Amino acid sequence: MALKLFNDSGVAKLQANDGEESITATANGAVKLYYDNAEKLATTSTGVDVTGDLKFNSGYGSAATAYGVRAWVNFNASGTVSVRGSGNVSSVTDNGVGYFTINFATAMPDGNYSVGSWARNNTTTVWNVTVGSLTSLAAPSTTALPIFCRDDGRASVDPTYVTLNIIR
Amino acid sequence: MNERIIYETEEGGVAVIIPVAECGLTIEEIAAKDVPEGVSYHIVDVSEVPSDRTFRGAWSWE
Repeated sequence: MALKLFNDSGVAKLQANDGEESITATANGAVKLYYDNAEKLATTSTGVDVTGDLKFNSGYGSAATAYGVRAWVNFNASGTVSVRGSGNVSSVTDNGVGYFTINFATAMPDGNYSVGSWARNNTTTVWNVTVGSLTSLAAPSTTALPIFCRDDGRASVDPTYVTLNIIR
Repeated sequence: MNERIIYETEEGGVAVIIPVAECGLTIEEIAAKDVPEGVSYHIVDVSEVPSDRTFRGAWSWE
C-alpha cells in the first residue's frame, strides 16, 4: 500500500492507493470521504451530503438504514388557511372544505411513499378528525398529495391543526 | 408570504394556493409549478380571501 498525502492544485488529497482518493479537502470548500475511490460523504456550505445508505445504531440494536422524512407540514385549515411550518413543501392548495393538496418543493423519487398524519379541531362537537383520501381524488404523485379531512360523521371539516409526515 | 394564488377549478369552484416562503421559490415560481397546467391564475393579497369558510363551496372568482 502506498500512502500519499499531497496538494493537487489547492486540493489536499490523501490516497491509500496511488491514484485512488481516500480523503480530499478543498480550501474554503468541501471535505470528501471515499470508499474504494467512490465518494460517500461530503461537507457542503449547508451541511453534509451522504451518497448511499445512512446507517446508525440508536437503540436499533444494530446499525440499520435510517429512512428520512422527505416532506412535512403543519397548517391551519380553518379561517384564513395558513402554514405554521414545513419542509420540502412549496404550497398547500385549499380546494374546498376539508379538501387540500400538499405540493412538494422537490419531487419524490416515486409515489410509493408513506404518510403519517394527525389533526385537531378546536370545537367541542368534533372529537376525531381523520386525514385520508378518497378514490375520487387523484392518487398520491411524486409532486403532490391530495388529502381529505373528515369528522366522526364523515362530514368534511377544516381542522385548526393538520400535520403530515411523508417518509420515503 | 402575504399573498395567495387563486384559480378556478374544473368543477366551477375556486382553489386557493397558500405559498410557503421557506421553500426558496418565488410566488411566481410556485404558481408555475403548483397551478394545474394551462389554467390561468391570479395573485392576490391574503386580505382579499374570505376568512369565513361557512360557504366555502360557493366561492367564485370575479
